[in-house]
Amino acid sequence: MNALMRRFRPEQIRELVLVVLIIMVIIFFATQIENYLSPRFFNRISTSVAIIAVVAVGQTLVVLTRNIDLSVGSIVGFTAYFVGQQLADNNEIAPLAVVLMAIGVGAAMGAFNGVLVAYGRVPAIIVTLGTLALFRTMLVEYSDAQTVITSSLPAWIIDLPRANIFSIDKLDFRLLVGIMVAVVIIFQLMLSYLPYGRRLYAIGSNPDAAKVAGFPSQRIVFFAFVLCGALSGLAGFMFLARFGNITVVAGLGIELKSVAAAVVGGANINGGAGTIIGTLLGAILIDVIDNSLIRWAEISQFWREALLGLMILLAVAADFVIMNRLRDLWARSELQMTQQDVEETQTQEEPGHVA
Amino acid sequence: MDKKPVLEMKNISKRFDMTQALDNVSLTLYPGEIHALVGENGAGKSTLIKTMTGIYRPDTGNILLDGQPVHIHNSQQAQSHGVAAIYQEPLVFPDLNVAENIFISHRDRGAVVSWKKMYKDAESILEKLDVKLDVKMPARGLTLAAQQAVEIAKAISLDVRVLIMDEPTASLSAHEVAQLFKVANTLREQGVAVLFISHRLEEVFKISDRISVFRDGRHISTNITGDVTHDSLIRDMVGREVGDYFAKSQAEKGEVLVSARGLGKEGVFSDINFDVRRGEVLGFAGLVGSRRTDVGLALFGIEPADAGEIIFEGEPLTMKSPEQALKCGISYLTEDRRQFGLTMPMSITSNISLPTLKRYLSGLGLVKHSREKATAEDYRKRLTIRTPSVNHEVGKLSGGNQQKVMLGKWLNAEPKLFIFDEPTRGIDVGAKAEVHHIINELAEQGLAIILISSDLPEALAMSDRILVMREGKQMGIFNREEATQEIVMTAAMGQSHLTEEISQ
Repeated sequence: MNALMRRFRPEQIRELVLVVLIIMVIIFFATQIENYLSPRFFNRISTSVAIIAVVAVGQTLVVLTRNIDLSVGSIVGFTAYFVGQQLADNNEIAPLAVVLMAIGVGAAMGAFNGVLVAYGRVPAIIVTLGTLALFRTMLVEYSDAQTVITSSLPAWIIDLPRANIFSIDKLDFRLLVGIMVAVVIIFQLMLSYLPYGRRLYAIGSNPDAAKVAGFPSQRIVFFAFVLCGALSGLAGFMFLARFGNITVVAGLGIELKSVAAAVVGGANINGGAGTIIGTLLGAILIDVIDNSLIRWAEISQFWREALLGLMILLAVAADFVIMNRLRDLWARSELQMTQQDVEETQTQEEPGHVA
Repeated sequence: MDKKPVLEMKNISKRFDMTQALDNVSLTLYPGEIHALVGENGAGKSTLIKTMTGIYRPDTGNILLDGQPVHIHNSQQAQSHGVAAIYQEPLVFPDLNVAENIFISHRDRGAVVSWKKMYKDAESILEKLDVKLDVKMPARGLTLAAQQAVEIAKAISLDVRVLIMDEPTASLSAHEVAQLFKVANTLREQGVAVLFISHRLEEVFKISDRISVFRDGRHISTNITGDVTHDSLIRDMVGREVGDYFAKSQAEKGEVLVSARGLGKEGVFSDINFDVRRGEVLGFAGLVGSRRTDVGLALFGIEPADAGEIIFEGEPLTMKSPEQALKCGISYLTEDRRQFGLTMPMSITSNISLPTLKRYLSGLGLVKHSREKATAEDYRKRLTIRTPSVNHEVGKLSGGNQQKVMLGKWLNAEPKLFIFDEPTRGIDVGAKAEVHHIINELAEQGLAIILISSDLPEALAMSDRILVMREGKQMGIFNREEATQEIVMTAAMGQSHLTEEISQ
């Protein structure tokens, strides 16, 4: 047990469990749904996961700092519509400019959240609950209840979701999935190796200590929201590419899925713990279940939301019960090791000690 | 003194609303010197520290570093000037490991974190301090002493020139205090100016080169440690002669109220046996980690015991919850005011009536504020809680007054057994004497009292009998007459086993 504890950190054990869970879920649905393990279904789910995962990565950054961003769904919807409208008006805009525009609009919305939370000291749940409604209303006003339709968009963006980076047999590895993989890698590296990333953990781990630790914790939290907004903007672009038709309800409910992905993936809702890889696994698990339920005749569609909520609750419960125990065990085994070390050196130092 | 001062605080004043927290205070710190700062709670020590570390800005006065005036407006600036502080409760990041905690504030370690180098550097710093810690271990599992070591290591890594230690020893065991002193001495040899703040005068005498006394926001005296005595310091602190503030009155002992027989909790403590009579004070002594508090928590049903039995008024019972304990007539004054004791943002009144709220309900089941308030007023007078009004927020009171509010809260439950857990930790000399007086009074009124205290002279002076624990084991119960500091300490350190011959 001790050897195992030292080999794997609790986070890694959790990620391993998630992989096993995903495989079990897929095996279960394979027995329930015809043609489940088809390339078509893989392609569909991988594109869907890509959007959720990109938002969830941003959500994770915010959650690490002991905050939450509930406005991500509205940011996705607004940027998808806004960028789509620009493209519909002017088909000539360069693709890169479109992506940058989406990221920029998202970042600006994130900055609005960030200013209020980090500098205005308003609790994140209040701020982002407010902007959840505010950004959605902006979308409704801006769109005038019109819809961006596929036929008004340039051909490149309509073809984008089917663009492949490479294919193995009939399994396509799509460009949107490539974007997700890039985002996951970049942000996992950031959390592991950049001082900024480590300080996100520090702030969530002990906000009081962060205040006196001598690094700009307000600015760090602010940029967490900006990054979350920017990633939601990027996801908005992906959303536009995937669906083409954008209505005022675009992106509705993504906030729930992104929080669920982060929490199921092991991010502690109280901050300080979580990984991007975990969030990716959380997003995959949630979206595989969600998409499978759509095709599973046994169960009513209305249960999908409920199941999502249930998974969040289960994940949080698991966090409290299992992860705390694991961490304690791990810490204890470490402590024992250190104490053994100390005792050994003490006996070495004082060979002739008389008790 | 031919050394040039490293940090000078000149004529610093700071006012909060009604309180003059600092009144024209000056303090000079020299490199390679340990400067102790003592004073009652509310003397202005914490405010001074906070102006030194940039949390507060002084209203008037200057801070000079190497003779040059500097502005310290936030902790980053304090850090860049080489001023750092460690506190009684260390501010570590529990989810980060030891090495990260040490280097989290560094800005000169490159754009990308090199984990290997960080582990190596952390190890070499800890080695310098002669502290053994696994640098990859998360701070979550560390003892308080180890967490402090991490904070000191962090300060050193930032080339600290002035290290403030704010009551660093309050929660440490004797062995850990010795280690901390070793570190402090190492720092002194390396030319760091250490400002050491403590309520324990023995420690101050042992470690410091110079002692300053503050009182009511004013600087009273600064002397070379060799030139002052215990008594003269206390005189400076309280501004009056303190008599025998450990006066013990002999209360009438009644029948046995509560007994423990073979009380135990898996992995925590085992085989605890004692009786407490009405009117008797049973002290619990032991070092940190002796699990005295856990016995208290078991008696009060917060962390129930899983072996043995508790006999209360002759009836064996299993204590399963604080509600049950409260009903039996047990009150427990926690050692951790902040976490378990008080609801800081609520008023004194609301805090006092909280466990007994049922008594204040009107016929309609609503809380009657007037009666609640009358009770609070009552305790304010009885316990001399110093506050503008009983509607005052508890979080804004001084430590000693918070302690009294907590006392009022549990006295109001009209207990038969009162468990005091470190009732005088972190409160000033005056408030301490008042708490002692209250404990004596309660014993005289026929309450049975369990007093858990790390302050050995206090435990010895206040108790009729002393139960000594070590690492979850009962080492013995000593009568007042035979218990000396040496005997109790020897038992607490596990050096001898006098247990059988003396208990009961």
